[in-house]
Amino acid sequence: MNTIKLYIKSVGMLMKSQLQYPASFLMQTLAQLVMEAEEFLAVILIVDRFDRLNQWMPGDLFFFFGVMSVTFYLTEIFGRGITGNFPSLLRSGQLDTLLLRPRGVLTQVLCSAVDPRRIACVAVGAAALIIGSRMAQVSWTPLKALALAESLVFGCLLLLGLFLIEAVFCIYSVKSVELVNAITYGGRSACQYPIDIYPRPLRVMFTVIAPFALVMHVPVGYLLDKPLFGWPGWTAFVCPLAGAAVFALMYAVFRRAMRHYRSTGS
Amino acid sequence: MAFIEADGLTKTFTVRKKRQKGQLLREKTQIRALDALSFSIEKGELVGYIGPNGAGKSTTVKLLSGILTPDGGTARVGGRVPWQERRQHASHIGVVFGQRSQLWWDVPILDSFDLLREIYRVPEDRYKERLNALTEALQLGELLRTPLRLLSLGQRMRAELCGSLLHGPELLFLDEPTIGLDAVSKLALRDFLMQENRRNGTTVLLTTHDMEDISALCSRVMVLGHGKKLFDGALPDLLARYDTRRIITLRYAGEVPLPQLPAGCACEAEGGQYKITYAPDKLPTSQLIALLQSAGDIRELTAQPQNIDHLIAAMYREMDL
Repeated sequence: MNTIKLYIKSVGMLMKSQLQYPASFLMQTLAQLVMEAEEFLAVILIVDRFDRLNQWMPGDLFFFFGVMSVTFYLTEIFGRGITGNFPSLLRSGQLDTLLLRPRGVLTQVLCSAVDPRRIACVAVGAAALIIGSRMAQVSWTPLKALALAESLVFGCLLLLGLFLIEAVFCIYSVKSVELVNAITYGGRSACQYPIDIYPRPLRVMFTVIAPFALVMHVPVGYLLDKPLFGWPGWTAFVCPLAGAAVFALMYAVFRRAMRHYRSTGS
Repeated sequence: MAFIEADGLTKTFTVRKKRQKGQLLREKTQIRALDALSFSIEKGELVGYIGPNGAGKSTTVKLLSGILTPDGGTARVGGRVPWQERRQHASHIGVVFGQRSQLWWDVPILDSFDLLREIYRVPEDRYKERLNALTEALQLGELLRTPLRLLSLGQRMRAELCGSLLHGPELLFLDEPTIGLDAVSKLALRDFLMQENRRNGTTVLLTTHDMEDISALCSRVMVLGHGKKLFDGALPDLLARYDTRRIITLRYAGEVPLPQLPAGCACEAEGGQYKITYAPDKLPTSQLIALLQSAGDIRELTAQPQNIDHLIAAMYREMDL
Protein backbone atom coordinates (compact mmCIF):
# COMPACT_ATOMS: atom_id res chain seq x y z
CA MET A 1 0.00 0.00 0.00
CA ASN A 2 2.77 2.27 1.06
CA THR A 3 4.61 1.42 -2.15
CA ILE A 4 1.68 2.53 -4.26
CA LYS A 5 1.47 5.78 -2.32
CA LEU A 6 5.18 6.32 -2.89
CA TYR A 7 4.78 5.66 -6.60
CA ILE A 8 1.88 8.08 -6.94
CA LYS A 9 3.78 10.75 -5.03
CA SER A 10 6.90 10.22 -7.15
CA VAL A 11 4.92 10.39 -10.38
CA GLY A 12 3.31 13.62 -9.21
CA MET A 13 6.68 15.12 -8.53
CA LEU A 14 8.18 13.97 -11.82
CA MET A 15 5.24 15.47 -13.73
CA LYS A 16 5.81 18.67 -11.83
CA SER A 17 9.46 18.73 -12.86
CA GLN A 18 8.57 18.16 -16.49
CA LEU A 19 6.14 21.03 -16.40
CA GLN A 20 8.95 23.32 -15.28
CA TYR A 21 9.65 23.64 -18.98
CA PRO A 22 6.13 24.06 -20.39
CA ALA A 23 7.10 25.15 -23.92
CA SER A 24 9.47 22.26 -24.39
CA PHE A 25 6.90 19.87 -22.97
CA LEU A 26 4.20 21.13 -25.31
CA MET A 27 6.38 20.94 -28.40
CA GLN A 28 7.54 17.44 -27.63
CA THR A 29 4.02 16.26 -26.93
CA LEU A 30 2.96 17.70 -30.25
CA ALA A 31 5.82 15.92 -31.98
CA GLN A 32 4.69 12.66 -30.41
CA LEU A 33 1.17 13.29 -31.65
CA VAL A 34 2.37 13.78 -35.22
CA MET A 35 4.58 10.71 -35.02
CA GLU A 36 1.88 8.37 -33.77
CA ALA A 37 -0.74 9.84 -36.13
CA GLU A 38 1.61 8.94 -38.99
CA GLU A 39 1.80 5.38 -37.71
CA PHE A 40 -1.96 5.21 -37.71
CA LEU A 41 -2.09 6.73 -41.19
CA ALA A 42 0.23 3.99 -42.43
CA VAL A 43 -2.23 1.38 -41.19
CA ILE A 44 -5.11 3.22 -42.80
CA LEU A 45 -3.28 3.33 -46.15
CA ILE A 46 -2.41 -0.36 -46.02
CA VAL A 47 -5.97 -1.28 -45.17
CA ASP A 48 -7.19 0.95 -48.00
CA ARG A 49 -4.99 -0.99 -50.40
CA PHE A 50 -6.04 -4.50 -49.40
CA ASP A 51 -9.44 -3.79 -47.89
CA ARG A 52 -9.07 -6.98 -45.87
CA LEU A 53 -6.33 -9.20 -44.42
CA ASN A 54 -7.46 -12.80 -44.02
CA GLN A 55 -10.78 -12.52 -42.18
CA TRP A 56 -9.91 -9.09 -40.70
CA MET A 57 -11.86 -6.07 -41.96
CA PRO A 58 -10.51 -2.48 -41.73
CA GLY A 59 -12.33 -1.79 -38.46
CA ASP A 60 -10.82 -4.91 -36.92
CA LEU A 61 -7.33 -3.85 -37.94
CA PHE A 62 -7.78 -0.37 -36.46
CA PHE A 63 -8.84 -2.05 -33.25
CA PHE A 64 -5.71 -4.19 -33.18
CA PHE A 65 -3.61 -1.11 -33.80
CA GLY A 66 -5.39 0.77 -31.03
CA VAL A 67 -4.86 -1.94 -28.43
CA MET A 68 -1.13 -2.12 -29.16
CA SER A 69 -0.72 1.63 -29.24
CA VAL A 70 -2.56 2.29 -25.97
CA THR A 71 -0.76 -0.55 -24.18
CA PHE A 72 2.69 0.32 -25.43
CA TYR A 73 2.51 4.01 -24.67
CA LEU A 74 0.83 3.58 -21.30
CA THR A 75 3.80 1.41 -20.43
CA GLU A 76 6.13 4.13 -21.68
CA ILE A 77 4.38 6.82 -19.65
CA PHE A 78 4.36 4.99 -16.35
CA GLY A 79 7.22 2.55 -16.77
CA ARG A 80 9.76 4.94 -18.26
CA GLY A 81 12.27 3.99 -15.58
CA ILE A 82 12.42 0.51 -17.08
CA THR A 83 11.60 1.14 -20.72
CA GLY A 84 14.07 3.94 -21.23
CA ASN A 85 16.02 5.20 -18.28
CA PHE A 86 17.61 2.13 -16.82
CA PRO A 87 20.82 2.13 -18.91
CA SER A 88 21.58 5.75 -18.08
CA LEU A 89 20.73 5.16 -14.44
CA LEU A 90 23.34 2.45 -14.42
CA ARG A 91 25.97 4.35 -16.32
CA SER A 92 25.65 7.55 -14.35
CA GLY A 93 25.89 5.65 -11.09
CA GLN A 94 22.53 7.02 -9.99
CA LEU A 95 21.49 3.44 -9.30
CA ASP A 96 23.84 3.52 -6.30
CA THR A 97 21.75 6.27 -4.80
CA LEU A 98 18.66 4.10 -5.16
CA LEU A 99 20.40 1.16 -3.53
CA LEU A 100 21.15 3.30 -0.49
CA ARG A 101 17.46 3.56 0.34
CA PRO A 102 15.29 1.12 2.22
CA ARG A 103 13.14 0.24 -0.79
CA GLY A 104 13.11 -2.33 -3.56
CA VAL A 105 15.24 -1.52 -6.57
CA LEU A 106 12.52 -2.03 -9.13
CA THR A 107 10.06 0.11 -7.17
CA GLN A 108 12.55 2.95 -7.14
CA VAL A 109 13.49 2.55 -10.78
CA LEU A 110 9.80 2.85 -11.62
CA CYS A 111 9.55 5.86 -9.34
CA SER A 112 12.52 7.51 -11.03
CA ALA A 113 10.99 8.44 -14.38
CA VAL A 114 7.76 9.04 -16.25
CA ASP A 115 7.19 10.19 -19.79
CA PRO A 116 3.95 12.17 -19.92
CA ARG A 117 4.58 13.31 -23.52
CA ARG A 118 3.47 9.89 -24.65
CA ILE A 119 -0.08 10.79 -23.66
CA ALA A 120 -0.42 12.07 -27.24
CA CYS A 121 0.32 8.58 -28.55
CA VAL A 122 -2.17 7.04 -26.14
CA ALA A 123 -4.75 9.50 -27.45
CA VAL A 124 -4.15 8.39 -31.04
CA GLY A 125 -4.40 4.77 -29.94
CA ALA A 126 -7.64 5.44 -28.09
CA ALA A 127 -9.02 7.16 -31.18
CA ALA A 128 -8.10 4.11 -33.27
CA LEU A 129 -9.88 1.89 -30.74
CA ILE A 130 -13.05 3.94 -30.90
CA ILE A 131 -13.03 4.18 -34.71
CA GLY A 132 -12.29 0.46 -34.97
CA SER A 133 -15.02 -0.43 -32.50
CA ARG A 134 -17.58 1.68 -34.47
CA MET A 135 -16.57 0.31 -37.87
CA ALA A 136 -16.51 -3.29 -36.71
CA GLN A 137 -19.80 -2.69 -34.89
CA VAL A 138 -18.62 -4.39 -31.72
CA SER A 139 -21.53 -5.29 -29.50
CA TRP A 140 -20.10 -4.40 -26.08
CA THR A 141 -20.92 -6.53 -23.03
CA PRO A 142 -19.42 -6.37 -19.55
CA LEU A 143 -17.42 -9.49 -20.33
CA LYS A 144 -15.94 -7.92 -23.43
CA ALA A 145 -15.00 -4.79 -21.50
CA LEU A 146 -13.32 -7.02 -18.94
CA ALA A 147 -11.41 -8.84 -21.67
CA LEU A 148 -10.16 -5.53 -23.05
CA ALA A 149 -9.13 -4.23 -19.62
CA GLU A 150 -7.34 -7.48 -18.88
CA SER A 151 -5.54 -7.34 -22.20
CA LEU A 152 -4.35 -3.77 -21.54
CA VAL A 153 -3.13 -4.48 -18.01
CA PHE A 154 -1.31 -7.69 -18.84
CA GLY A 155 0.00 -6.13 -22.03
CA CYS A 156 1.73 -3.48 -19.91
CA LEU A 157 3.21 -6.19 -17.67
CA LEU A 158 4.40 -8.10 -20.72
CA LEU A 159 6.17 -5.04 -22.09
CA LEU A 160 7.76 -4.26 -18.74
CA GLY A 161 8.97 -7.84 -18.60
CA LEU A 162 10.49 -7.63 -22.08
CA PHE A 163 12.19 -4.34 -21.32
CA LEU A 164 13.61 -5.91 -18.18
CA ILE A 165 15.61 -8.24 -20.45
CA GLU A 166 17.48 -5.20 -21.68
CA ALA A 167 17.99 -4.04 -18.11
CA VAL A 168 19.51 -7.40 -17.21
CA PHE A 169 21.92 -7.21 -20.13
CA CYS A 170 22.90 -3.73 -18.99
CA ILE A 171 23.73 -4.91 -15.50
CA TYR A 172 26.25 -7.35 -16.91
CA SER A 173 27.75 -5.19 -19.63
CA VAL A 174 26.92 -1.64 -18.49
CA LYS A 175 25.70 -0.74 -21.95
CA SER A 176 22.41 -1.15 -23.73
CA VAL A 177 21.86 -4.01 -26.12
CA GLU A 178 20.12 -3.09 -29.33
CA LEU A 179 19.30 -6.72 -30.01
CA VAL A 180 16.61 -6.68 -27.36
CA ASN A 181 14.84 -3.93 -29.28
CA ALA A 182 13.89 -6.57 -31.85
CA ILE A 183 11.33 -8.02 -29.49
CA THR A 184 10.24 -4.81 -27.75
CA TYR A 185 9.97 -2.16 -30.46
CA GLY A 186 9.95 -4.89 -33.12
CA GLY A 187 7.14 -6.62 -31.27
CA ARG A 188 5.13 -3.43 -31.20
CA SER A 189 5.49 -2.87 -34.95
CA ALA A 190 4.75 -6.47 -35.89
CA CYS A 191 1.95 -7.13 -33.45
CA GLN A 192 -0.12 -4.12 -34.23
CA TYR A 193 -1.41 -6.50 -36.90
CA PRO A 194 -3.02 -9.81 -35.93
CA ILE A 195 -0.59 -12.68 -35.61
CA ASP A 196 -2.26 -15.00 -38.14
CA ILE A 197 -1.15 -12.91 -41.11
CA TYR A 198 2.48 -13.85 -40.40
CA PRO A 199 4.49 -16.93 -41.38
CA ARG A 200 5.17 -19.63 -38.85
CA PRO A 201 8.54 -18.49 -37.39
CA LEU A 202 7.17 -15.08 -36.49
CA ARG A 203 4.03 -16.64 -35.03
CA VAL A 204 6.15 -18.82 -32.79
CA MET A 205 8.29 -15.86 -31.77
CA PHE A 206 5.32 -13.70 -30.78
CA THR A 207 3.38 -16.50 -29.13
CA VAL A 208 6.04 -18.36 -27.20
CA ILE A 209 8.94 -15.96 -26.65
CA ALA A 210 7.23 -12.59 -26.55
CA PRO A 211 3.57 -13.63 -26.25
CA PHE A 212 1.92 -10.53 -27.71
CA ALA A 213 -0.48 -12.86 -29.58
CA LEU A 214 -1.70 -14.43 -26.34
CA VAL A 215 -1.99 -11.18 -24.44
CA MET A 216 -3.53 -9.00 -27.17
CA HIS A 217 -4.71 -10.90 -30.22
CA VAL A 218 -6.65 -13.66 -28.50
CA PRO A 219 -8.82 -11.28 -26.44
CA VAL A 220 -9.27 -8.88 -29.37
CA GLY A 221 -10.39 -11.80 -31.59
CA TYR A 222 -12.95 -12.61 -28.88
CA LEU A 223 -14.15 -9.00 -28.73
CA LEU A 224 -14.63 -8.88 -32.48
CA ASP A 225 -16.48 -12.20 -32.44
CA LYS A 226 -13.82 -13.63 -34.73
CA PRO A 227 -11.91 -15.95 -32.37
CA LEU A 228 -8.23 -16.23 -33.27
CA PHE A 229 -7.51 -19.76 -34.57
CA GLY A 230 -11.11 -20.57 -33.62
CA TRP A 231 -10.20 -20.87 -29.92
CA PRO A 232 -13.06 -20.96 -27.38
CA GLY A 233 -14.15 -17.80 -25.54
CA TRP A 234 -12.58 -18.55 -22.15
CA THR A 235 -9.11 -18.45 -23.70
CA ALA A 236 -9.57 -14.70 -24.09
CA PHE A 237 -9.45 -14.44 -20.29
CA VAL A 238 -6.74 -16.98 -19.60
CA CYS A 239 -4.18 -16.30 -22.34
CA PRO A 240 -3.35 -12.72 -21.27
CA LEU A 241 -1.98 -14.13 -18.01
CA ALA A 242 1.07 -15.01 -20.10
CA GLY A 243 2.02 -11.33 -19.76
CA ALA A 244 2.13 -11.65 -15.98
CA ALA A 245 4.17 -14.85 -16.33
CA VAL A 246 6.78 -13.12 -18.50
CA PHE A 247 6.98 -10.25 -16.04
CA ALA A 248 7.34 -12.58 -13.05
CA LEU A 249 10.06 -14.56 -14.75
CA MET A 250 12.03 -11.50 -15.81
CA TYR A 251 11.62 -9.93 -12.39
CA ALA A 252 13.21 -13.02 -10.84
CA VAL A 253 16.05 -12.87 -13.37
CA PHE A 254 16.49 -9.15 -12.71
CA ARG A 255 16.78 -9.75 -8.98
CA ARG A 256 19.42 -12.38 -9.53
CA ALA A 257 21.30 -10.08 -11.88
CA MET A 258 21.30 -7.26 -9.34
CA ARG A 259 23.45 -9.45 -7.11
CA HIS A 260 26.14 -9.16 -9.75
CA TYR A 261 25.83 -5.41 -9.87
CA ARG A 262 29.28 -3.87 -9.64
CA SER A 263 28.66 -0.16 -9.55
CA THR A 264 30.68 2.46 -11.42
CA GLY A 265 33.18 5.14 -10.48
CA SER A 266 33.46 6.83 -7.13
CA MET B 1 31.55 -5.83 19.68
CA ALA B 2 32.34 -2.57 17.98
CA PHE B 3 29.70 -0.68 16.00
CA ILE B 4 31.44 -1.28 12.67
CA GLU B 5 33.42 -4.45 12.44
CA ALA B 6 35.20 -5.27 9.18
CA ASP B 7 37.19 -8.44 8.94
CA GLY B 8 39.29 -9.38 5.94
CA LEU B 9 37.14 -7.53 3.39
CA THR B 10 38.27 -8.35 -0.13
CA LYS B 11 36.81 -7.12 -3.38
CA THR B 12 38.16 -7.81 -6.84
CA PHE B 13 37.00 -6.21 -10.06
CA THR B 14 37.57 -7.74 -13.44
CA VAL B 15 38.50 -5.16 -16.02
CA ARG B 16 38.46 -6.04 -19.67
CA LYS B 17 41.12 -4.36 -21.72
CA LYS B 18 40.41 -3.03 -25.15
CA ARG B 19 40.96 -5.64 -27.82
CA GLN B 20 44.23 -5.22 -29.69
CA LYS B 21 44.56 -5.81 -33.38
CA GLY B 22 44.73 -9.48 -34.30
CA GLN B 23 43.60 -10.52 -30.85
CA LEU B 24 40.60 -12.77 -30.70
CA LEU B 25 39.62 -12.41 -27.09
CA ARG B 26 39.93 -9.41 -24.90
CA GLU B 27 42.45 -9.62 -22.14
CA LYS B 28 41.08 -9.51 -18.66
CA THR B 29 42.88 -8.13 -15.67
CA GLN B 30 41.92 -8.47 -12.08
CA ILE B 31 42.09 -5.40 -9.96
CA ARG B 32 42.08 -5.95 -6.27
CA ALA B 33 40.22 -2.95 -4.92
CA LEU B 34 40.29 -4.18 -1.34
CA ASP B 35 42.77 -6.65 0.01
CA ALA B 36 41.85 -8.26 3.33
CA LEU B 37 40.88 -5.01 4.97
CA SER B 38 40.07 -5.15 8.66
CA PHE B 39 39.16 -2.41 11.09
CA SER B 40 36.65 -1.56 13.75
CA ILE B 41 34.94 1.69 14.60
CA GLU B 42 33.12 2.48 17.82
CA LYS B 43 29.81 4.23 18.02
CA GLY B 44 30.09 8.01 17.96
CA GLU B 45 33.55 8.08 16.42
CA LEU B 46 34.45 10.56 13.70
CA VAL B 47 36.91 8.80 11.45
CA GLY B 48 38.78 10.24 8.52
CA TYR B 49 39.43 7.88 5.67
CA ILE B 50 42.17 8.92 3.29
CA GLY B 51 44.23 7.49 0.51
CA PRO B 52 45.09 8.36 -3.08
CA ASN B 53 42.57 7.98 -5.90
CA GLY B 54 41.81 4.35 -6.56
CA ALA B 55 42.93 3.17 -3.14
CA GLY B 56 39.59 1.51 -2.44
CA LYS B 57 37.92 4.14 -0.27
CA SER B 58 34.69 4.29 -2.22
CA THR B 59 34.60 0.51 -2.50
CA THR B 60 34.75 0.29 1.28
CA VAL B 61 31.86 2.72 1.61
CA LYS B 62 29.87 0.79 -0.99
CA LEU B 63 30.45 -2.47 0.84
CA LEU B 64 29.55 -1.05 4.23
CA SER B 65 26.41 0.58 2.85
CA GLY B 66 25.24 -2.62 1.16
CA ILE B 67 25.56 -1.61 -2.50
CA LEU B 68 28.26 -4.16 -3.25
CA THR B 69 28.93 -7.68 -2.06
CA PRO B 70 32.54 -8.54 -1.13
CA ASP B 71 34.39 -11.52 -2.59
CA GLY B 72 35.77 -12.41 0.79
CA GLY B 73 35.67 -11.38 4.43
CA THR B 74 32.82 -10.21 6.58
CA ALA B 75 31.53 -6.96 7.96
CA ARG B 76 28.92 -6.04 10.49
CA VAL B 77 27.49 -2.61 11.01
CA GLY B 78 25.36 -2.30 14.13
CA GLY B 79 25.02 -6.08 14.07
CA ARG B 80 23.82 -6.21 10.45
CA VAL B 81 25.60 -7.61 7.43
CA PRO B 82 25.01 -4.72 5.01
CA TRP B 83 24.81 -6.61 1.72
CA GLN B 84 22.56 -9.30 3.14
CA GLU B 85 20.07 -6.96 4.73
CA ARG B 86 20.41 -4.02 2.36
CA ARG B 87 16.95 -2.53 2.84
CA GLN B 88 16.87 -2.96 6.60
CA HIS B 89 20.37 -1.52 6.81
CA ALA B 90 19.56 1.43 4.58
CA SER B 91 17.13 2.97 7.07
CA HIS B 92 19.93 3.22 9.62
CA ILE B 93 22.56 4.89 7.49
CA GLY B 94 22.94 8.10 5.55
CA VAL B 95 25.29 8.55 2.63
CA VAL B 96 26.43 11.70 0.89
CA PHE B 97 28.43 11.41 -2.29
CA GLY B 98 30.07 14.74 -3.07
CA GLN B 99 29.72 14.16 -6.78
CA ARG B 100 26.32 12.58 -6.91
CA SER B 101 23.00 14.01 -5.91
CA GLN B 102 20.19 12.17 -4.25
CA LEU B 103 17.73 15.02 -4.49
CA TRP B 104 15.50 15.81 -7.47
CA TRP B 105 16.88 18.39 -9.85
CA ASP B 106 13.86 20.37 -10.94
CA VAL B 107 11.67 20.57 -7.86
CA PRO B 108 11.93 22.64 -4.67
CA ILE B 109 14.13 20.86 -2.15
CA LEU B 110 11.26 20.73 0.33
CA ASP B 111 9.40 18.46 -2.11
CA SER B 112 12.48 16.27 -2.36
CA PHE B 113 12.65 16.03 1.42
CA ASP B 114 8.98 15.16 1.57
CA LEU B 115 9.49 12.31 -0.89
CA LEU B 116 12.48 11.10 1.12
CA ARG B 117 10.24 11.06 4.18
CA GLU B 118 7.92 8.75 2.25
CA ILE B 119 10.79 6.55 1.06
CA TYR B 120 12.26 6.18 4.54
CA ARG B 121 8.83 5.90 6.17
CA VAL B 122 9.63 8.61 8.72
CA PRO B 123 6.60 9.39 10.95
CA GLU B 124 5.15 12.85 10.28
CA ASP B 125 5.89 14.37 13.68
CA ARG B 126 9.44 13.08 13.84
CA TYR B 127 10.02 14.34 10.33
CA LYS B 128 8.84 17.85 11.21
CA GLU B 129 11.01 17.99 14.28
CA ARG B 130 14.05 16.74 12.42
CA LEU B 131 13.48 19.01 9.44
CA ASN B 132 13.21 22.06 11.69
CA ALA B 133 16.40 21.23 13.51
CA LEU B 134 18.30 20.53 10.31
CA THR B 135 17.09 23.54 8.35
CA GLU B 136 18.12 25.76 11.22
CA ALA B 137 21.53 24.19 11.66
CA LEU B 138 22.22 24.19 7.95
CA GLN B 139 20.57 27.55 7.30
CA LEU B 140 18.28 26.20 4.66
CA GLY B 141 15.14 28.04 5.74
CA GLU B 142 14.84 30.40 2.80
CA LEU B 143 16.01 27.86 0.27
CA LEU B 144 13.36 25.24 0.92
CA ARG B 145 11.13 26.54 -1.86
CA THR B 146 13.94 26.80 -4.38
CA PRO B 147 14.51 24.05 -6.95
CA LEU B 148 17.81 22.25 -6.53
CA ARG B 149 19.10 23.37 -9.93
CA LEU B 150 19.08 27.01 -8.82
CA LEU B 151 21.22 26.45 -5.73
CA SER B 152 24.93 27.13 -5.54
CA LEU B 153 27.27 24.22 -4.93
CA GLY B 154 27.60 25.07 -1.24
CA GLN B 155 23.85 25.38 -0.79
CA ARG B 156 23.32 22.17 -2.67
CA MET B 157 25.74 20.29 -0.44
CA ARG B 158 23.90 21.59 2.62
CA ALA B 159 20.63 20.40 1.12
CA GLU B 160 22.14 16.98 0.36
CA LEU B 161 23.36 16.70 3.91
CA CYS B 162 19.93 17.61 5.23
CA GLY B 163 18.34 15.00 2.96
CA SER B 164 20.64 12.27 4.15
CA LEU B 165 20.04 13.03 7.82
CA LEU B 166 16.25 13.40 7.79
CA HIS B 167 15.65 9.83 8.85
CA GLY B 168 18.08 10.18 11.75
CA PRO B 169 20.74 7.67 10.70
CA GLU B 170 23.13 6.37 13.35
CA LEU B 171 25.92 6.20 10.78
CA LEU B 172 26.85 8.76 8.16
CA PHE B 173 29.16 8.11 5.22
CA LEU B 174 30.54 11.23 3.62
CA ASP B 175 32.36 10.85 0.36
CA GLU B 176 34.29 14.04 -0.35
CA PRO B 177 31.61 16.36 0.99
CA THR B 178 33.68 19.54 0.71
CA ILE B 179 34.79 19.04 -2.87
CA GLY B 180 34.54 22.31 -4.76
CA LEU B 181 33.23 24.35 -1.84
CA ASP B 182 34.44 27.83 -0.95
CA ALA B 183 36.11 28.54 2.39
CA VAL B 184 32.98 29.81 4.14
CA SER B 185 30.88 26.84 3.07
CA LYS B 186 33.62 24.44 4.08
CA LEU B 187 33.89 25.90 7.55
CA ALA B 188 30.12 25.91 8.01
CA LEU B 189 29.91 22.31 6.88
CA ARG B 190 32.64 21.23 9.28
CA ASP B 191 30.94 23.03 12.15
CA PHE B 192 27.71 21.32 11.37
CA LEU B 193 29.25 17.86 11.20
CA MET B 194 30.98 18.40 14.50
CA GLN B 195 27.68 19.41 16.10
CA GLU B 196 25.75 16.54 14.60
CA ASN B 197 28.35 14.12 15.88
CA ARG B 198 28.36 15.59 19.37
CA ARG B 199 24.66 16.15 19.79
CA ASN B 200 23.24 13.00 18.22
CA GLY B 201 26.20 10.68 18.62
CA THR B 202 26.17 10.02 14.89
CA THR B 203 29.12 7.93 13.81
CA VAL B 204 30.82 9.51 10.80
CA LEU B 205 33.15 7.99 8.26
CA LEU B 206 34.58 10.80 6.19
CA THR B 207 36.35 10.19 2.91
CA THR B 208 38.22 13.19 1.66
CA HIS B 209 41.28 14.56 -0.05
CA ASP B 210 41.06 17.75 1.92
CA MET B 211 43.46 17.38 4.82
CA GLU B 212 41.99 20.41 6.54
CA ASP B 213 38.72 18.49 6.85
CA ILE B 214 40.55 15.71 8.59
CA SER B 215 42.53 17.86 10.95
CA ALA B 216 39.47 19.93 11.88
CA LEU B 217 37.11 17.02 12.42
CA CYS B 218 38.67 13.66 12.91
CA SER B 219 40.30 12.29 16.01
CA ARG B 220 41.23 9.20 14.09
CA VAL B 221 42.58 8.63 10.61
CA MET B 222 42.77 5.52 8.51
CA VAL B 223 45.04 5.52 5.49
CA LEU B 224 44.32 3.17 2.65
CA GLY B 225 46.58 2.29 -0.27
CA HIS B 226 46.21 -0.43 -2.87
CA GLY B 227 43.32 -1.86 -0.91
CA LYS B 228 45.32 -2.27 2.28
CA LYS B 229 45.23 -0.38 5.53
CA LEU B 230 48.52 1.42 5.99
CA PHE B 231 47.84 3.46 9.07
CA ASP B 232 45.19 3.65 11.73
CA GLY B 233 45.52 6.13 14.55
CA ALA B 234 45.53 9.77 15.54
CA LEU B 235 46.45 12.42 12.97
CA PRO B 236 49.37 13.90 14.99
CA ASP B 237 50.92 10.43 15.19
CA LEU B 238 50.62 10.03 11.47
CA LEU B 239 52.17 13.42 10.86
CA ALA B 240 54.98 12.82 13.33
CA ARG B 241 56.12 9.94 11.21
CA TYR B 242 56.52 11.95 8.08
CA ASP B 243 56.82 15.45 9.36
CA THR B 244 60.62 15.57 9.67
CA ARG B 245 61.41 18.87 7.99
CA ARG B 246 60.59 22.43 9.02
CA ILE B 247 61.10 25.67 7.17
CA ILE B 248 61.78 29.11 8.62
CA THR B 249 62.34 32.34 6.74
CA LEU B 250 64.11 35.33 8.19
CA ARG B 251 65.42 38.76 7.32
CA TYR B 252 68.21 40.60 9.11
CA ALA B 253 68.38 44.30 9.79
CA GLY B 254 70.96 45.37 7.22
CA GLU B 255 73.33 43.25 5.17
CA VAL B 256 74.28 40.27 7.26
CA PRO B 257 75.88 37.14 5.81
CA LEU B 258 74.36 33.93 7.05
CA PRO B 259 76.46 32.06 9.60
CA GLN B 260 77.81 28.64 8.76
CA LEU B 261 74.95 26.15 9.29
CA PRO B 262 75.45 22.58 10.47
CA ALA B 263 75.22 19.77 7.91
CA GLY B 264 71.69 18.71 7.01
CA CYS B 265 70.38 22.25 6.72
CA ALA B 266 69.56 23.79 3.38
CA CYS B 267 69.41 27.51 2.70
CA GLU B 268 68.09 29.60 -0.14
CA ALA B 269 68.75 33.31 -0.29
CA GLU B 270 66.37 35.61 -2.07
CA GLY B 271 66.58 39.39 -1.98
CA GLY B 272 67.97 39.61 1.55
CA GLN B 273 65.60 36.94 2.78
CA TYR B 274 66.83 33.52 3.83
CA LYS B 275 64.76 30.37 3.67
CA ILE B 276 66.17 27.62 5.86
CA THR B 277 65.03 24.01 5.79
CA TYR B 278 66.12 21.88 8.72
CA ALA B 279 65.25 18.72 10.60
CA PRO B 280 64.18 19.57 14.18
CA ASP B 281 65.02 16.10 15.48
CA LYS B 282 68.67 16.57 14.43
CA LEU B 283 69.03 20.28 15.04
CA PRO B 284 66.67 21.62 17.72
CA THR B 285 64.86 24.78 16.69
CA SER B 286 66.13 26.78 19.71
CA GLN B 287 69.72 25.93 18.80
CA LEU B 288 69.19 27.04 15.20
CA ILE B 289 67.64 30.32 16.28
CA ALA B 290 70.47 30.98 18.73
CA LEU B 291 72.95 30.40 15.93
CA LEU B 292 71.11 32.76 13.58
CA GLN B 293 70.80 35.40 16.25
CA SER B 294 74.50 35.36 16.95
CA ALA B 295 75.14 36.56 13.38
CA GLY B 296 73.17 39.79 13.61
CA ASP B 297 69.97 41.59 14.44
CA ILE B 298 66.93 39.64 13.18
CA ARG B 299 64.19 41.91 11.98
CA GLU B 300 61.69 39.33 10.81
CA LEU B 301 61.27 35.62 11.36
CA THR B 302 58.48 33.33 10.29
CA ALA B 303 58.07 29.64 10.80
CA GLN B 304 56.12 28.16 7.95
CA PRO B 305 53.09 26.20 9.11
CA GLN B 306 53.16 22.50 8.31
CA ASN B 307 51.57 21.83 5.02
CA ILE B 308 49.55 18.71 5.47
CA ASP B 309 49.11 18.14 1.77
CA HIS B 310 52.86 18.04 1.26
CA LEU B 311 53.20 15.65 4.13
CA ILE B 312 50.56 13.33 2.78
CA ALA B 313 52.12 13.46 -0.67
CA ALA B 314 55.46 12.54 0.88
CA MET B 315 53.78 9.78 2.79
CA TYR B 316 52.12 8.35 -0.32
CA ARG B 317 55.48 8.45 -2.07
CA GLU B 318 57.19 6.68 0.75
CA MET B 319 54.50 4.03 0.96
CA ASP B 320 54.91 3.64 -2.78
CA LEU B 321 51.31 4.40 -3.70
